[in-house]
Amino acid sequence: METFFFMIVAAVAVLASILVITCKNPINSALSLILTFFCLATLYVTLDAPFMAAIQVLVYAGAIMVLIVFVIMLLNVRTESGRRSSHSVLFGSLIGLFTLFQLFYLFNRSSLTGQKGTIDSALINKVGHTELIGKALYTDFLLPFEVTSILLLVAIIGAVVLTKKKI
Amino acid sequence: MVSLHSYLILSAILFSIGTIGVLIRRNAIVIFMCVEMMLNSVNLTFIALSKHLGNVDGQIFVFFVMTVAAAEAAVGLALMIAFYKNRESIDVEDVKLMKL
Amino acid sequence: MLGAYLPILVLVAIAVIFGLCSLVFSSLIGQKKPSVVKLAPYECGCEPVGSARERFSVKFYIIAMLFILFDIEAVFLYPWSVLFKRLGMFGVMEMGVFIVILFVGYIYVWKKGALEWE
Repeated sequence: METFFFMIVAAVAVLASILVITCKNPINSALSLILTFFCLATLYVTLDAPFMAAIQVLVYAGAIMVLIVFVIMLLNVRTESGRRSSHSVLFGSLIGLFTLFQLFYLFNRSSLTGQKGTIDSALINKVGHTELIGKALYTDFLLPFEVTSILLLVAIIGAVVLTKKKI
Repeated sequence: MVSLHSYLILSAILFSIGTIGVLIRRNAIVIFMCVEMMLNSVNLTFIALSKHLGNVDGQIFVFFVMTVAAAEAAVGLALMIAFYKNRESIDVEDVKLMKL
Repeated sequence: MLGAYLPILVLVAIAVIFGLCSLVFSSLIGQKKPSVVKLAPYECGCEPVGSARERFSVKFYIIAMLFILFDIEAVFLYPWSVLFKRLGMFGVMEMGVFIVILFVGYIYVWKKGALEWE
């Protein structure tokens, strides 16, 4: 049952992501990408990470895609112009397939090692996923968390400087 | 029970589709969306391995990847708007010079 | 565990079925007598002026962009608020530093006039 569910969600995610790169109209690509993000959020739920699923929908599907759709509407770009491209579709696809085979080879040959932690789904159900995340984020990862705020500050200033001058 | 392998294979497929999209499309916004898709496939790997190893650290990394993606979206799309104002196009083939 | 998400699945299924049904049945059952007036886009009874695909102003983009960056700040606040009691004073201080740094960005945006809508 669970495998069947995974198969359906995975198939929808792959189909939607193929639509992202094949649609001529950028709006259609953006809508397909939102579908891919929702499928990934569903998979996060099956991986015992409900908080990650929530912020996936909140940040990716709710904020980043809204910004992308805004920019598509703002620039009003229609379909790509018909002129000949120096980007070869054939070579691009070959490189992509090569990456895929490389990754498959890696998965089949290598064995996964690593120290096992103590967190399992019973603990997540008992304590709560958000609390476990928060405990790690605000104690072990304190410095990266504070540095994140500087990254966001730089992004705010950069984006305002780039857009505000020439309205 | 779905094995770790299936999640890794799904994320490899999504990553390769994103790579193909970056290489064959010319619209800068679509290329940007493909980059987001590649970031997301890596997020899936992080969360699958985090569950497999029984450790929450991978999910913290996903947090930071999402933050970087949001900052990248804000600045990258602002760059696209600035470029469009000068050239009336967001085709990456028109981005040949370092000056505007 | 996953049974708790069944209502969401049911909601998604109902939404998809409703959308498909209203499209399919209205095209199957409904009468089709198109005329120029009927095919015109509905704009509260006024005559439509110009194309619907006009370019937006860049002001919308600035607001959406600031929304994203402060949305990320809110996402970081969720796990903090769950753990607020256990972290104690230490938690208040670390979140204080985070918010003060982002507040500098907010002041900058305000002074730069990016929030004004003229």
